[in-house]
Amino acid sequence: MVAGAALTPERLGPILAPFEDPDGGFAIAVEDPDGVVLASAGQAPPDAPVDAVEEIRCGPGKAMVGRVVGRGSGPLVGPIVASLAASLAELAGSAHEHHPGGTAAHRLEAELALSRRIQRSLIPLTPPDLRGFEVATHYEAAREVGGDFFDVFPLRDRAGRAGIVIADVTGKGIAAALLMAFARPLVRSALDQARDPVVAIERTNKILVEERRSALFITALAGILDLRTRVLRLANAGHEPPLVVPGDPARPVRWLTGSGPLLGAFPTLGLGPCEVQLAPGDLVLLYTDGVTDTRAASGERFGDDRLLAVVEAARAGSARDMLDAVVAATHAFQGDEPSADDVTIVAVKREAHTRRDLARPKG
Amino acid sequence: MSLTTTTEQVAGRVPFTVLALEGELDASNFERLVGDARDLYTRGTRAMLIDLTGLTFLASSGLVALHSIVRIMHGEQADDLEAGWDVLHHLGHDTATGDSQRDVQLAGPQPAVERVLQRTGLDRLFVIHPDRTTGIADF
Repeated sequence: MVAGAALTPERLGPILAPFEDPDGGFAIAVEDPDGVVLASAGQAPPDAPVDAVEEIRCGPGKAMVGRVVGRGSGPLVGPIVASLAASLAELAGSAHEHHPGGTAAHRLEAELALSRRIQRSLIPLTPPDLRGFEVATHYEAAREVGGDFFDVFPLRDRAGRAGIVIADVTGKGIAAALLMAFARPLVRSALDQARDPVVAIERTNKILVEERRSALFITALAGILDLRTRVLRLANAGHEPPLVVPGDPARPVRWLTGSGPLLGAFPTLGLGPCEVQLAPGDLVLLYTDGVTDTRAASGERFGDDRLLAVVEAARAGSARDMLDAVVAATHAFQGDEPSADDVTIVAVKREAHTRRDLARPKG
Repeated sequence: MSLTTTTEQVAGRVPFTVLALEGELDASNFERLVGDARDLYTRGTRAMLIDLTGLTFLASSGLVALHSIVRIMHGEQADDLEAGWDVLHHLGHDTATGDSQRDVQLAGPQPAVERVLQRTGLDRLFVIHPDRTTGIADF
């Protein structure tokens, strides 16, 4: 029996905290041998692929903690996703059961709470440390959760590459949150296995089209950042194109175009890759349409031009500065208007000068 | 945010309904639009020209409505958008194959709306006419 050392209650506390449920219930976190933790709520299926299970208290409910064994080149991803799905479905069902004779308003509130919980549970807590790069992220849920998600993680090849994903499930509420919960591990494992974003996105689309029938779609921007060559290779499936902000102020800010259709609607996408070589100080801004669709009381939308102006003004700062500037600008524009959509932003900036650059200048 | 819909029946080569959208189509009202289309199908509509001339904004949620309307006009039970996880297990007919269908066509998208259709690739699902008049004549 594996001791499950990596999955300590201390480490799991923050991961499972979003699942704290005043109505009781379970949360499950599963870690594979490479240290990837997938967390979900509901009940662990009896045949869950765990070899060590311990229970820790998590609010009024219990958290089951397991460590996955026997993972080969990938088949375990299926069971993990299946168990997540089963757990989430169960939780979704229980939300209705809690209010059997409840009013529509009660049900709506329960669903809103549930979709927010699912959403929060899948948003990474802290971005990983990527050597030579600063990563800053922002996520803000609309009242009726829109199904945005993002992911920044080191690839399992340990060759100094990182996966970067931002996506938006069209639609809202539980249906969108559940599809998000289904899609996020799919994209992640596809990036890990394919090692190429175009292949990964095509594979994800194929699974989405074949394995599920949903009225909803997903726009996704998935990339692999090589920390040694500093090349970011992206595949864009119907998503807002990312902004490239050069560290050199003489070079213009530009959108990195090149995309294909969104996920879930067509059997194949025919995507082409888009690539950018990041020089010192270069920043890439990935965002969901919640940013540009931000609506003012007048009905006007924030739009591309305002975004570009904010980005231009903040380009000298850090990734975090950039993010804060964009968020502040959309908030100011929005005033007291409620948010109709989730807002998600990921900024990745190559450090202006790494120690290595100074020690061994190129040339 | 508001969306107004008006309908007109056209007895062309095949009878079809012109559904004109005015305002903004987004997360707050896309389900209502799907409901409207379902009602039209129940009352006999089998083909539809969606007039987008008055649509000033199309959010990604709105794409779900457009796609669902295609499925409804094809006689498929469009998924209950509120069905949560059931949606993912629903064994319906195949969704769009990518072939251009003609039962639902679009007319008069403004540049902002057309950009969203192009970015997301859903433009390939529809015949898109420059305006309502051309759409009605060519349907």
